[in-house]
Amino acid sequence: MKAVGASLPRYDGIDHVTARSRFVDDFSLPGMLWAKAFRSPVASARIVRLDTTRAEAMPGVHAVITHADVPTNVVGHQEVWGIAPDEPLLAEHEVRFVGQLIAVVAAETEAQALDAVQAIELELEERTPFLDVRNAWDAGRPQVTPDGNVFFYYPDQPQRQIRKGNVDEAFAAADVIVEGVYRPGAIEQAPAEPAAALAIPEPNGRVTIHSTSQALYYSMDITARHLRMPMGMLKFVGGTVGGGFGGKIDTKTEPITAVLALKTQRPVKWRHTREEEMLCSTTRAAWHVEIADAVTNDGWILGRKTLTLHDAGAYMMTSAYACSKHSFHLAGAYSIPAVSFNTFVVMTNHVPTAAMRGFGVTSASFAVETHMNRIAQVIGMDPWELRLKNANRVGDSSPSRVVYGNPSTVSTLLAAAEAADVVLPPDERAMTNAKREGALLPAHLVEQQREPVTHPLVWRDNRPALEGGV
Amino acid sequence: MALHRGRGIATIEYPTGMNQGGDPSQAWIKVKPDGHVDVFSGTVDVGQGSKTVHTQIAADMIGVPYDTVTMNNFDTDTSPVSFGTFASRGTFIDGNAIAVAAYRTRQRLLEVASRMMEVDPEDLEIADGDVAVLGAPERKVSVAEVAATASWTYGEMIVGSGAWMFPHVEPDKETGECEPHAAISYASCVADVEVDDETGEVRVTKLVQVYDVGRAINPTLVEGQIQGGAVMGLGLALLEESYPYYPELSHRGPEFGAYAAPGMADLPELKNVALEDPDPVGPFGAKAVGEMANNAQSPAIVAAIHDAVGVWVTELPARPERVLRALDESRQPRRDGRRVIYDEHLSVAVVSTAENRAEGTWRFPLVSE
Repeated sequence: MKAVGASLPRYDGIDHVTARSRFVDDFSLPGMLWAKAFRSPVASARIVRLDTTRAEAMPGVHAVITHADVPTNVVGHQEVWGIAPDEPLLAEHEVRFVGQLIAVVAAETEAQALDAVQAIELELEERTPFLDVRNAWDAGRPQVTPDGNVFFYYPDQPQRQIRKGNVDEAFAAADVIVEGVYRPGAIEQAPAEPAAALAIPEPNGRVTIHSTSQALYYSMDITARHLRMPMGMLKFVGGTVGGGFGGKIDTKTEPITAVLALKTQRPVKWRHTREEEMLCSTTRAAWHVEIADAVTNDGWILGRKTLTLHDAGAYMMTSAYACSKHSFHLAGAYSIPAVSFNTFVVMTNHVPTAAMRGFGVTSASFAVETHMNRIAQVIGMDPWELRLKNANRVGDSSPSRVVYGNPSTVSTLLAAAEAADVVLPPDERAMTNAKREGALLPAHLVEQQREPVTHPLVWRDNRPALEGGV
Repeated sequence: MALHRGRGIATIEYPTGMNQGGDPSQAWIKVKPDGHVDVFSGTVDVGQGSKTVHTQIAADMIGVPYDTVTMNNFDTDTSPVSFGTFASRGTFIDGNAIAVAAYRTRQRLLEVASRMMEVDPEDLEIADGDVAVLGAPERKVSVAEVAATASWTYGEMIVGSGAWMFPHVEPDKETGECEPHAAISYASCVADVEVDDETGEVRVTKLVQVYDVGRAINPTLVEGQIQGGAVMGLGLALLEESYPYYPELSHRGPEFGAYAAPGMADLPELKNVALEDPDPVGPFGAKAVGEMANNAQSPAIVAAIHDAVGVWVTELPARPERVLRALDESRQPRRDGRRVIYDEHLSVAVVSTAENRAEGTWRFPLVSE
């Protein structure tokens, strides 16, 4: 074996740094049209009148599309997981966030397209936006969606909930209960390359789409749904992307250019400006996480209750996914035998939020780890000791009852202490990831232990063992 | 004015692959008559270097030099399904699909070589682009000769295909019970900061970071993920915000000049360590490092700020104004019997005016005794 484990030079490194790699915006075709978007200026409004007549008559303009031009306008990013679609590609009777797409122009030059966008006439009846997730249940709050401001995972249960062990007993037995609130903010994915697409109508009726997507098949599926075409009628071209960080899962430029290309029978390119990338495309969500922990004076965490409100923004995108994922990680890298977690997807009039590096878990890690440091402060224990004591070990189980087969909380902590020149006491330095025993297996952690499971596909001697039916 | 130093720690875990699984990847491989290998997979290299890692996996699994392998991920007509480059799944899930395809390609090469050499395939091994008899390494043919013989003499083709998926699971409605991910990675982080108690500015002077990545397929690319993640984590902790007056909408930054992403001047001293505790399911023992690399810094930095100046800033980013406000107010947790209540002013219980605070199976405030 030679390649694996070697710091070989990047496959495309020289091409990237000498500007020879080709990204979507490097492709152009004769007769190609340019797209520019007309977007909502306000966070919440009813659309009273939309008139594109003047724009359509502008020089160089080949098409102006609105929601009526999109075969299936409302498509969801989580339909494959059974979440109902809610987001229109182009706004219909209302807008729910600043920058929401209302119409798109295709013209011979970008300047002509931009001129035509400015000629689109829009009359709005503005509404008060709903912005603070903490007011989701207040009387008289503005409504973001006809179904209210809180998503329901099940018809009778809005939250993703996790329940394990007896939380009431844990809180009754605690020496101290530590409560805190954690609010990591919304931030931009900010890739170097803004989202772009080039759609080319092919003579055989197919459409070729050059895409900056992080997920070609996923974006092709969403585009096919919008176009009401089989996926096989589309060909996505891409695979080399100038940064994504989660933001390029959202599929907007692809279906828009495809609709325009089919309507005009010309290649159509649309590239987000930096302003559109910053103001109109999705962000990492802001989160509100409340934690209450039942703690003993000698540093055991007996139980945890959480309340999370996730600011989904104006449409669902992938928020239900993120909140489930968030919920599974609210115990962090520790074994907590009794938990009660409640996580809510709250709709607001912010720009829809979606994936960003660490999706759903970045907020959980911030909340859980800051809370751990506070617990250490409250009970006067060294934060290394608190962590090493509660660290998940082989045979411990997670809040959703995943059995840890090879956790490395203890080993990463010990390595970090060593690398930071922190000298831990000998009994802490001697800890391992192995199954709990002795003083590290108090009564409250016995019941949560399980036998580690084996997976159907495993690697043996650097070969995949195929009998699992791969 | 005084500069105060502080240190904070954090330990995190992060799942590999999509939450609740069900995200397949597929790959197929053909060998050209000259022995060059073409790998086809619908993956996207977002800059993290997945093409490099996937090429390394294919090269070693087949037993050919890295530079004879071409990675084709250009379009959906030629490349099979990859669910996408997200959820820290590229090395692990795409990598497993490619590894399985490469393993089957290797088996095909051995079959053809076995006919050429009249040796049982079990007694052959492929390494460095040669198929050799086990125990008699001088008896060998090159992969190029095998591929040429297959094409021009036997009229056959050498291909292999593979797929991998962690099956989809649904969590239990009541308890959330399920096994939602293919593997878990771990990390610890130590942050050293300097806090200026007059300006509220926080400077991170050093980050020590340890990641268990299972197996570093390409150590330089792992280091790249950890360094890049550190910078992003720094932005999240101290600088970046889409809504400076969140939840209000005003003053959004429309360009990099009006949005405080970290620059090189913000970069602290970095000391990064990659542990390699092999995962039983990941390719060559690898598991994910991509996303988790920006998760540990913010709690470590917030703890370091507390260590330096004695205040907790739990709304991110911990920008100077928030640090100064916390210093001015020197907020202490409220004590109520056994309860120690931090940040009460931020809580739903205080901000909400909802009268009915119990809905179904949950209620807030969180703990009411």
